[in-house]
Amino acid sequence: MKAKGSYDLVKFLNTIKSSLRKNLIFVTGKGGVGKTAVSQAIALSLAQEGKRTLWVSFEDPTRPPGEWIQKGAHLWHFNCDAGQSFEEYAGMKVGIPALTRVFLHNKVIRYLAKAAPGIHELVLLGKVWHERKNYDHVVVDMPSTGYGLAMFQSTQNFAHLFKTGPLYRDASDMLSTFKDPEQTALLIVALPEEMPLRESLELNNYLHELFPDNPPSFWVNRKFPRVTTQEQEEASPPDSWAEPFAQTVSEYIQKRSILESYNLRLWSERGIHSSELYLIPFSSAQTLESVVLGLTRQLEEKRLL
Amino acid sequence: MSKTLQSAKLEWAKIDEIIQKRKVLITCGTGGVGKTTLSAAIALRAALDGKKAVVITIDPAKRLITSLGLHEEETALGNHPMDLTSKIQEAIQKTGYSIELKGSLDAIVPDTRHTFENFIRELSPSESIAQKVMSNPIFQIFAKEFSGTNEYMALERLYSLIKQNKYDLIVLDTPPSRNTLAFLNAPKVLVQFFEERMIKWLVLPANKLVAAGMRKALGILENLTGAGFMTHLFEFASSLFEIRARFTTNLNSIMKTLESDQVGFMMVTVPAPDLIPETFHFIETLERLHFHFDGVAINRTLSYLQKTEDSEKSENLALAHKIIEGLQQKERQALKDHTIPLCGKLPELARDVHSLEDLLHVAMAFHANLS
Repeated sequence: MKAKGSYDLVKFLNTIKSSLRKNLIFVTGKGGVGKTAVSQAIALSLAQEGKRTLWVSFEDPTRPPGEWIQKGAHLWHFNCDAGQSFEEYAGMKVGIPALTRVFLHNKVIRYLAKAAPGIHELVLLGKVWHERKNYDHVVVDMPSTGYGLAMFQSTQNFAHLFKTGPLYRDASDMLSTFKDPEQTALLIVALPEEMPLRESLELNNYLHELFPDNPPSFWVNRKFPRVTTQEQEEASPPDSWAEPFAQTVSEYIQKRSILESYNLRLWSERGIHSSELYLIPFSSAQTLESVVLGLTRQLEEKRLL
Repeated sequence: MSKTLQSAKLEWAKIDEIIQKRKVLITCGTGGVGKTTLSAAIALRAALDGKKAVVITIDPAKRLITSLGLHEEETALGNHPMDLTSKIQEAIQKTGYSIELKGSLDAIVPDTRHTFENFIRELSPSESIAQKVMSNPIFQIFAKEFSGTNEYMALERLYSLIKQNKYDLIVLDTPPSRNTLAFLNAPKVLVQFFEERMIKWLVLPANKLVAAGMRKALGILENLTGAGFMTHLFEFASSLFEIRARFTTNLNSIMKTLESDQVGFMMVTVPAPDLIPETFHFIETLERLHFHFDGVAINRTLSYLQKTEDSEKSENLALAHKIIEGLQQKERQALKDHTIPLCGKLPELARDVHSLEDLLHVAMAFHANLS
């Protein structure tokens, strides 16, 4: 049993490592699991290796729409905006500027672009797909689970909906890139808590349906330090606790450690291994940047790149 | 009222006030903040206090099921209320609280699998029109991902319950979303989709399109998407036109009902640095819609944990203590602004809520030190 387990672990580490070598890296997961920090840390680590890297966020309201900034010698950040990408794409497809203007200013076209479900998502992903050729790596901070999935789903949907024409060809090309494990990596970020883990399994199933040949790799973020032994954990599993509360800091730390080990064991029993990123102790000066640097150090220590 | 509930009631003061004041409470928040557990606990609290209460959760993850101690198969009849009263009585006995259940609690977990189909059926003047819409390939694609329909169906469900006037308190746990405002903004998205003028344009036959620009633009669209798509699009638009009127009327009466002072909205969130702008936007949006604000419930707080010293400190243990101290500090910073209108502060649980007993513990043990 032990030998098999360690073999799996080696195989798993290689999966994680190889996923970070892909051209397109999509970082997905439920809201609040730290996708922004994790995707940025991955992008930063890759850039530090000398790789030309683009970190993409989708319509981050705290940044100007469509903003490009250089964040380091090899690192850029792009705040991808659907409206701008739509115009750019229309320009490319229509070709003649005067016709493009007629098209984009048309009331019905504007209505469809705004109200038709899926267009928004298709255009954002299309822009990322288009940019991938200009970089060694494009790391994408995807929206939370449902919406993030919908983005891939719309590509699929449009490929089905348009039987012919340029849009059909582009959506099909996008799909073949996304489902190709040589070109695209799908990362699922989760917290070591029950509901987030369960939801990431659901996400895994959906992604499997969409891209059966490109299995995602799992990342557990914000793990607490383990302070309990396996013996202690087995002696007092979470289900045996009378109340869902802890009274003291020490009790909370103890219970948290048991809970996380217990949840992660449930995962590994299903054959799912995950890379673990530890919670970074908060200091009053903490910023997203410092969290990203902390995570980047963890990636280096694990020698994942 | 028994002594235990009385003393706990002090800590629940604001939420108990809301329970007394409103007939409908709508909880809004992003995923992962414990909104579902809180909504169920509030409804349970109301039931203990003698109300006929019901909690509705429109939640694809069906999280409420586990926190209500139910199994998935028990919710097969998802659209009907499930009576939890006897299960709560059992839970009270098992946990040994000296309280009695004076009211009742139902739970409704609507089936979200066919939401868009139901949405169209409900709005169509006839079954044949519903069939026409649903057989359109554009519909079949959009049905999978149309945003806003879950929210609209939640409102429909709520509206029909309000009209039945069967309950003293209805707690609506809104679908999980990207941001706190998503639920409030959902109707706007749908209204946009049903914009009359635009649908009219699409319904007009091509030869009636007088404006040259319009012909040109649609011609370009046809080149991009292929001819088949345009035919489907025109068909889809004309069927939407037929269901549009009922949608608008329904939505208007629902939104009007929500303006009543019997309906309150609560924001559920965690102590994060962006709490103040988030709260501000929430209140602003409610005001614009003429809805009533019931406060912010801060979930997953760690400030209630008593400080203790561990006798031996390993490296990991020391780090864990440092992490907790940091999180508590972060929480104090997020909450130091006294202008945040808190209505409850809920403790971080050591594990998830698994059963009605657990939910009862939550309903009894809220930490609501609001000072």
